[in-house]
Amino acid sequence: MSVAAAPSTALPGGLRGFKILLPFAVLIAIWWAVKAGGGIEDGLLVSPLQAWDAFVHLATHGVLAEYASSSLRMIGIAALLSMLIGVPIGFAVGTNRYAAHSLEGFLRFLQSISGIAWLPLAIIWFGFSHTTTLVIVIYSLIVPIIFNAMIGVRAIPENYVMALRSLGASRFRLVTDVYLPGALPSIVVGLRLGMGYGWRALIAAEMLVRKGGLGDLIFGARTFGQIDRIMVGMIIIGCLYIIVDRLIVQPIENLTVARWGLLRL
Amino acid sequence: MSMQTTHVSASVHHALGWIGWRLLPAVPFVVILLAWMIGWHVFEPNKATLPAVSDVFHAVWIRALDGDLLMHTTASLWRLFLGASLGIATGIVGGFIAGLYRKVSEFINPLVVFFNAISGIVWLPLMIGWLGIGTALAVFVIWNTVFFIVFQNTMLGVQLVPQVYEQGVQALGGGRLETIRTVILPGALPYVLTGIRSGLGFGWRALIAAELVGASTGLGQMIFQAAEYHRSDIIIGGCLIIGTIAIAIDHWILLPLEQRTIERWGLVIDVTRKQ
Repeated sequence: MSVAAAPSTALPGGLRGFKILLPFAVLIAIWWAVKAGGGIEDGLLVSPLQAWDAFVHLATHGVLAEYASSSLRMIGIAALLSMLIGVPIGFAVGTNRYAAHSLEGFLRFLQSISGIAWLPLAIIWFGFSHTTTLVIVIYSLIVPIIFNAMIGVRAIPENYVMALRSLGASRFRLVTDVYLPGALPSIVVGLRLGMGYGWRALIAAEMLVRKGGLGDLIFGARTFGQIDRIMVGMIIIGCLYIIVDRLIVQPIENLTVARWGLLRL
Repeated sequence: MSMQTTHVSASVHHALGWIGWRLLPAVPFVVILLAWMIGWHVFEPNKATLPAVSDVFHAVWIRALDGDLLMHTTASLWRLFLGASLGIATGIVGGFIAGLYRKVSEFINPLVVFFNAISGIVWLPLMIGWLGIGTALAVFVIWNTVFFIVFQNTMLGVQLVPQVYEQGVQALGGGRLETIRTVILPGALPYVLTGIRSGLGFGWRALIAAELVGASTGLGQMIFQAAEYHRSDIIIGGCLIIGTIAIAIDHWILLPLEQRTIERWGLVIDVTRKQ
């Protein structure tokens, strides 16, 4: 999931916006042409106008806001909890050579079992509930965060730790002055990867748990063959993910890179 | 004399330390297995909630014997192979074109960012209507996941090849195709491989999710069916197999491929991406 920052050609704001919107305008035109020209029935594909109507309908009745806020709340809580729990665990493991070596393989193994594979078991344990979704999303998020927090701490030159220790720094000071700033770029990488896994796990879990959320919206619409709702839901999911990634996760990444210099681990 | 004994004892100590160090990664697995066994005998939970360790092995064993497991596993792997091959091929070709032509990449980039955000499982409800339930659906979901990651990495790799090298070959009389073959292709290869590796990780996840509802066979379907009968032994066994396959593919196919290229090219790329 490595995306380079687009080469920032100094375009005036209006032209840039135009350059971003133009491809979508072309795409919508093609969509329209296929729908109109191919004579495809509504059960398979709706026209952009019908999708817009469905969007307006969902939005004005407050349903869309409810589904979207449910998903956002879920990913927000999961991200917060994963950071609060995962980073300390990563630090505790990373500061001990033996613990780090012993847990690395285990974490890799956990990371390769996707959260969604545990969904059937979580449903048996917690039923079709929000707890099930939350557990799956936290699992998807927390493993990369622990892993990267651990790697980040391991990569800090030991000299810094020893220098602070010899000056009589407490363990708390070591964490705030060495481990946290040193490992932050790596933690953010873990958060970004975890958000990629977590968001997809969330949508999939919502589809099966059917207790609200955008995954529930599009999968529920499937059972009634409401293609317009499905397409609106997909577009909203895409937009929300881009907003979360670009407006929250990427700025944090840029901030750490800018402040700490290009610390590549 | 005394120096020699200390030397010997030190090397014995060293050897023991080395063995211990090599065994250390097994510790978490052993601890969890023991805790599970002991905990199960102490609390004796409902088998549907948490099966005994032996139940899991037994369930996997039974399914291995009657060929069920093989059928589901080959179904999943076949889909992964089809979808990933398609995704890698289209991703590399598309990434190269977008990387070589600035106008193309500028036009296509906003679309790639958007469709990457809805790649994979989000297409499931729409695609069930178009492709029906089965292999075509799963292959589409994997293709969709792998394509964007490979595409973006290939494009990035092509764009990051220093122009000096291109100009060098051109100055020596190399044509466009010659430049692509001798400079851009090898220059972009490490990025392409990183993309393939990361793409397969996401692709395998997407496949399992897609199989939960969008297929009648496959490992995802196996554990989903097991949930209906509250057979948590099959689910846990299935999850372990899913994880083992992912690790095996990554460790024995993708990692060596990536490392050999990196070594040959004398490049070092971001370690954090190599998980």
